[in-house]
Amino acid sequence: MKIAVAGKGGSGKTTISATLSRVLARRGHRVTAVDGDPNPNLGVALGMSREQLEALVRIPKEIMEVKEEGERRNLVLTRPVEEITAEYATAAPDGVNLMVMTGVDHAGAG
Amino acid sequence: MRGLLGELATGNAGEEVTITDMEASIEHMSRATVRHVEGMLIVTEPYFRSLETVGRIAPLARELGIEHVWAVANKVRGQRDEEIIHSYCADHGIEIGGVVRWDEAIQEADREGRALIDFEPSAPAVAAIEQIADLLEREMTGTRENGSSGNGRGD
Repeated sequence: MKIAVAGKGGSGKTTISATLSRVLARRGHRVTAVDGDPNPNLGVALGMSREQLEALVRIPKEIMEVKEEGERRNLVLTRPVEEITAEYATAAPDGVNLMVMTGVDHAGAG
Repeated sequence: MRGLLGELATGNAGEEVTITDMEASIEHMSRATVRHVEGMLIVTEPYFRSLETVGRIAPLARELGIEHVWAVANKVRGQRDEEIIHSYCADHGIEIGGVVRWDEAIQEADREGRALIDFEPSAPAVAAIEQIADLLEREMTGTRENGSSGNGRGD
């Protein structure tokens, strides 16, 4: 199941995303937490150590490209998702896998 | 084998779950970024501008084909806060997926740069988020009523 957590900045989305990820992982689910925020702090909220956070590899923006589709601008992956997961997922507590998506350039996107 | 053990241990098969903490601004939400997303939780505080964001995101999410859209009330301090959220969501036809009351433990965990669930596992906010996990698990099992895996959620 794929869940997106949205909301206004400062609403507490990150704490809720992180805690939800940890709770579901403790219940035996295989959880991937994806940080899509330009100021990534999901790793901290998940309880990763400073060393782990420093070692985090962010998914580079080349991995996604913007495709124009009529009036829409869509982000599409340029490599298979499994490959990206294997390369960029980092282990967080309770076996949660963290992927940090930051790096996508939204300049000019409003 | 592992799957079976997981199932026995949790009462739910170990599902693949992806939780994406999205960018604040809705403009970046496109069909591609939310492709295959089944559920969206829109976190809101009990004040107008935050609720307006829910009012903007929810229809877009539905338009993008997201099946379940829930508002999650956060930092709720009292009866009046809860009423404001309930009334806004009722007026806009948005289901409430959870209510997380104001919890000092969240601020303290943030201050220390720790996970809330490590900092204070018994915090009321953790319990409230466990209820959201219950909700998601019910969706994953197709709202199957299963007496042996009841999560004791009373609502």
